[in-house]
Amino acid sequence: MYDEVGPSEMIVHLGPQHPMLPGPFRLNAKLRGETVVDSEVEMGWIHKGIEKILENKTYLQGITIVDRICYLAALTNEEAYVGCVEKLAGIEVPERAQYIRVIMEELSRIQSHLLGMGEYASFVGFVSMFMYTIKEREDLMSVIDSVTGARITHSFLRFGGVKDDLPEGFKEDVKYVFGNLRKAIDNYEELFSTDSIYKARTVGIGTLTAEVAKDIGVSGPPLRATGVAFDIRKDEPYLVYKDLDFKVCTQTAGDVFARVQVRLDEMRESMYIVEQCLDQIPSGPIFPEGTAYGRRSPVMRIPAGEVFHRVEDPRGEMGFYMVSDGSDKPYRVKIRGPVYPTLQALPPLLKGVPVADIVAIAGSMDTCTSEVDR
Amino acid sequence: MDAKAMIDSLSSQFTGVIYDAQVESDIRILAKVKPESVKDICQYLKEKLSFGHLCCEFGVDYPERNEIEVVYVIGSYEHPVVLTLKAILPRDDPEVESVVPVYWNANWYERETYELFGVKYLDHPDLRPLVLPQDMLGEWPLRKDYKGFPNKTARNLV
Repeated sequence: MYDEVGPSEMIVHLGPQHPMLPGPFRLNAKLRGETVVDSEVEMGWIHKGIEKILENKTYLQGITIVDRICYLAALTNEEAYVGCVEKLAGIEVPERAQYIRVIMEELSRIQSHLLGMGEYASFVGFVSMFMYTIKEREDLMSVIDSVTGARITHSFLRFGGVKDDLPEGFKEDVKYVFGNLRKAIDNYEELFSTDSIYKARTVGIGTLTAEVAKDIGVSGPPLRATGVAFDIRKDEPYLVYKDLDFKVCTQTAGDVFARVQVRLDEMRESMYIVEQCLDQIPSGPIFPEGTAYGRRSPVMRIPAGEVFHRVEDPRGEMGFYMVSDGSDKPYRVKIRGPVYPTLQALPPLLKGVPVADIVAIAGSMDTCTSEVDR
Repeated sequence: MDAKAMIDSLSSQFTGVIYDAQVESDIRILAKVKPESVKDICQYLKEKLSFGHLCCEFGVDYPERNEIEVVYVIGSYEHPVVLTLKAILPRDDPEVESVVPVYWNANWYERETYELFGVKYLDHPDLRPLVLPQDMLGEWPLRKDYKGFPNKTARNLV
């Protein structure tokens, strides 16, 4: 890209620290006038080496580490990691624990979408939206906090169950918060769909077609906005998702506006899932009885084997590939994050757009650099 | 087509190239593959069996066997079967053909496997480090015999 900078072209570096960017990465854009001709993404500013760290931690210690992959999706990261170990060791999760996991993961999906959407709206200049969404998110965080005891890095799941049962009055709390949230989401939708300036900045911008999106391997809301109903919760149901009634939210336009609309619909769908769970949840143990593995056993040996387990993250397909050699530490853990292909798709998407649209397109992907760098 | 039929179709098409195939469950297949034909097999998988979604690609180091495995986890948008392909390379000089012409998003996975394991990808469009600084190239930090962890890389973490 640097070799052939023409006389009327220049290279602009966005980042690694830039108000538009959700995390530190650098976008080098080659411009001709106001138009982006070429761009590239540079990574590595927050590379933590989590895959190497996990090889040197026992299985139980690993739960705390995978929280830190991306704090907005901490519970789904744990689900993928814990699911791998459960598959390898053949641990059955009791039904009540499965329901609690679904409730917590769906709540965390809503809070992730709220923050992602608010941040994105402030990137395109709709700063007051961030204040609206962060207010509703705070109530939701308190609800999650009342169960897990932490706001963002929960360490809540255990191999075979969960750390704690739901507290007293949880159902009423959720009902109260959801009442407000429903009204708020209707409000956001109205604000988004009636604001002509916002629409001018988003409709028809950064359009992905279904073929291109599949080809470059994106998943989650950016893919569903193109009309492909790809959702791990439906295609490869884990936990109790096959007993629950929900639909995969899709749009057909594939532009920035459609991606935000998919997130709005998904929040409503998640609320519906949580309400069903709260009605259906059976009583019973939250940890399996009669297994060789204790709830807090710091050293547990897992049978040798390999497994790939994937779950639906707020941003798409989250998968863990785990190789165990029979010792108390995993031999190799590969983390396949959903944002990795999404961020990779940025340069082709940005080709030929005006500079001002970079922010709208990059923001609508809801990228999380921490997860890409790991 | 279920997992069993898929692996049968694949093994009959590529006799001797795909070996040790095993169906782990209805939606998981594990197979080993000769490194020199990885790209052809990926092409076939994508066009004929609608495996259009590369979930991930990474390396696993086995120093006692003197081998590095490059693992391709390939899924699909049409069916829930996930196929895991393993190419076994010699640890001293791991080289394998790039699958970027087939799966576009393999680009970053291969760059990362290159800088962390030293697996050289032939015909890769842009093989340079992704997450590590340039001066760490050649240390291959995710290999099991890497000496710099944790003192060089993560002193405060472990």
